[in-house]
Amino acid sequence: MPHLVTLRVKRPGHRTIRLWIPVLLVVIVLSPILLLALIGGVIACLIFDMKVIPTYAGLWRVIAALPGSHFDYEQGRFGLLMTIR
Amino acid sequence: MNEQRKAILDMLAAGSITADEAERLLTAIEPGEAPASGSTERPKAKAKYLRFVVGYTENGEPGRVNIRVPIALLRAGVRLSALVPAQALEKANAEIAKSGVPFDLTQLKPDELEEFVNHLDEVIVEVDSPDAQVRIYSE
Repeated sequence: MPHLVTLRVKRPGHRTIRLWIPVLLVVIVLSPILLLALIGGVIACLIFDMKVIPTYAGLWRVIAALPGSHFDYEQGRFGLLMTIR
Repeated sequence: MNEQRKAILDMLAAGSITADEAERLLTAIEPGEAPASGSTERPKAKAKYLRFVVGYTENGEPGRVNIRVPIALLRAGVRLSALVPAQALEKANAEIAKSGVPFDLTQLKPDELEEFVNHLDEVIVEVDSPDAQVRIYSE
């Protein structure tokens, strides 16, 4: 599971923004909303005739495979970097 | 190597290790089957990531996109795509066809996609043009 998302935004004429986002902390803070989203997901699965457990297992596999992802975009003096660890 | 083998066999003969332990130790010191050609080249490590690097020039300013995607993420995505209901695929097919691309998503089998992901190790795509360079490779 990802534990840290690093974000860096570089804009011309502005200070570079660097953010280190601890995923676990965000999950804990947003847990009430996530719970509602999970329930909504179960209802959606039932409506669209999808298997609930395999769907959530598949989603979990996607989330668990995220560490190591890296996105870096630079255009002139603008830059955006996101890494998931 | 021979001395190590002899030491293990001596320990076995002396009764200080069991036959199973001796077998495990012998297996551990053996490098495996020697290659037929006698070359010392190591097998290529399995790729973990797929890298997309795009370099371009827009309005005279250089631009660069560098994306690294874990191959495990692609594999997880393929498995997840197997759960998409058929009616959703048909709707997606209809929308794709409207854009003029006759592509049938229902013909994409998860097993075949997984096979494709398994063989991404060998993928190298390089496109060079005066304004842009694209490179896709595994690492």
